[in-house]
Amino acid sequence: MPAIPIQQPQIQLRIQDVQKSFQSKSGPVHVLDGLTFDVHEQDFVSIIGPSGCGKSTIFNVIAGLLQADSGSLIYRGEPVKSLRGRIGYMMQKDLLFPWRTVLDNVLLGLKVRGVDMKEATDTAREYLSTFGLSGFEKSYPQTLSGGMRQRVALIRTLVMDPDILLLDEPFSALDYQTRLYLESVLLEAVETFKKTVILVTHDIDEAVALSKRVVALSGRPTKVKGVHSIDIERSTPVEARAHKNFSEYFNLLCSELDIQTKKPGVHA
Amino acid sequence: MSKVQDAATSAALTTAVLQAPSRHPSKHLRAWLETGLGTSLLQFVAVAVFFLCWEVATELGWLSEFLMGKPSGIWARFVSSLMDGSLLINTGYTLWEAVLGFVIGTALGTVMGLSLWYSKWVEQLVGPFIAAINSVPKIALAPIVLLWFGTGLLSKVVLVVSMTAIVALIAAHQAAKDADKDLQALMFSMGGNKHQIFFGVVVPASLPAILATFRINVGFGLVGAVVGEFISSKYGLGNMIYTASSLFELNTVWVGLFMLMLVGFILYHAIDALERVALPWRTDGGRPHLQM
Repeated sequence: MPAIPIQQPQIQLRIQDVQKSFQSKSGPVHVLDGLTFDVHEQDFVSIIGPSGCGKSTIFNVIAGLLQADSGSLIYRGEPVKSLRGRIGYMMQKDLLFPWRTVLDNVLLGLKVRGVDMKEATDTAREYLSTFGLSGFEKSYPQTLSGGMRQRVALIRTLVMDPDILLLDEPFSALDYQTRLYLESVLLEAVETFKKTVILVTHDIDEAVALSKRVVALSGRPTKVKGVHSIDIERSTPVEARAHKNFSEYFNLLCSELDIQTKKPGVHA
Repeated sequence: MSKVQDAATSAALTTAVLQAPSRHPSKHLRAWLETGLGTSLLQFVAVAVFFLCWEVATELGWLSEFLMGKPSGIWARFVSSLMDGSLLINTGYTLWEAVLGFVIGTALGTVMGLSLWYSKWVEQLVGPFIAAINSVPKIALAPIVLLWFGTGLLSKVVLVVSMTAIVALIAAHQAAKDADKDLQALMFSMGGNKHQIFFGVVVPASLPAILATFRINVGFGLVGAVVGEFISSKYGLGNMIYTASSLFELNTVWVGLFMLMLVGFILYHAIDALERVALPWRTDGGRPHLQM
């Protein structure tokens, strides 16, 4: 029997000792307190934590929308300022441009990058039909449903072929059915296109159902509380929720967050 | 027993009567008047009655024809000035002054207002000056403008530009400041530079607010043109009104005023059409209309 080589996961992005404070009227607010965690190649990492713990701040630092006070980002072994231009960013708000048609919204990132528009248009149409949106190319976002709009936003993110998808509670504004559907669409797309995903969510259920690993954060000033591998064989998020280990992980993460939610009370 | 039946019958009758209010003639009339045709007809009737009352009142001597004019006289003056071509020339002049000044002033102001988005420093530098200029009633500049730019077309256009540019500037500046920050952040994270964010987000996001000021500015265009003509001019509706009123030709004054009204009306609807063409994405998107 030949020895199966143990695959050591390749680190794609290392967030190392990132500090960030904001100035407020009542003095500086220390948000990120030396945050460190790794993201592997083709990883699906969820970041969970109590509200206001600076989950979105991490994203803004990675995306280059904010400068960290100190610490570094190391991308495939090289220190980088940010991953601006290399990431696909998706938020709770679909952030579709109301004056652009569905097709033009999908093409936005490619236009910014300045690629050949004819080829890009063909790719975009292909994506739209894969995601069941053909026929809506010339529609304005205002005329679409919330789920459709978020699907367009997802296509816009994928079509840029980003190295890492940054998803900031992308489905939290949607109803449960649409949400389950889009979760499975996302998971399928990530598998197909071999993407790395960092997902910020307040929803432990979603984190367990989708992720390979979960990073749990403490309350402000925020540190990494723990990193958990989620060992669930899944092909769809619905299936994952039915897995025998699901509730175990769910409870584990719940208790980890619960400790944090009680903490301020203890100190007060 | 029969008493009970009687009561039941009368109750049923009452219900039947109450349930048939749509047969009532006044309801029918009301419904018809609320149709497009009915509304137009009602508007027409209101105008006709107004002029008729005016005509009769002057005829009976209740109103002074000398001071008020008279609809039949206004009509006669309208036809004669139309025939000799003077009305069209005057209207054309005023329209041209207003539109030219509006286009130049609005374009200038919009471009300046939007470009203030580019630099916080320039914005802070010119901010107080913008506020100061805005606080001067531009119409007060009219005598100087006439002095500097003569009695012809140029002085009126300059006057209109001075009135419209500042409005457009302030509106465009504010709209650019209000442009969706999240969309800008998204474009930035995609690697977009400042120019791409400006033309990709700031300008299109500002367009609705900018177009809304067009309505105000088109009105200012007419004000500037007419006031300029009042002060000194050879042609134009303002000239026509001013000259006629100093000669107590009230009917001519009214012809000028009604033409101004018509021009303003047309310009307003032209802006409407422009808005529909420029902002095709601003549809109701199948949302129900709230009727109150």
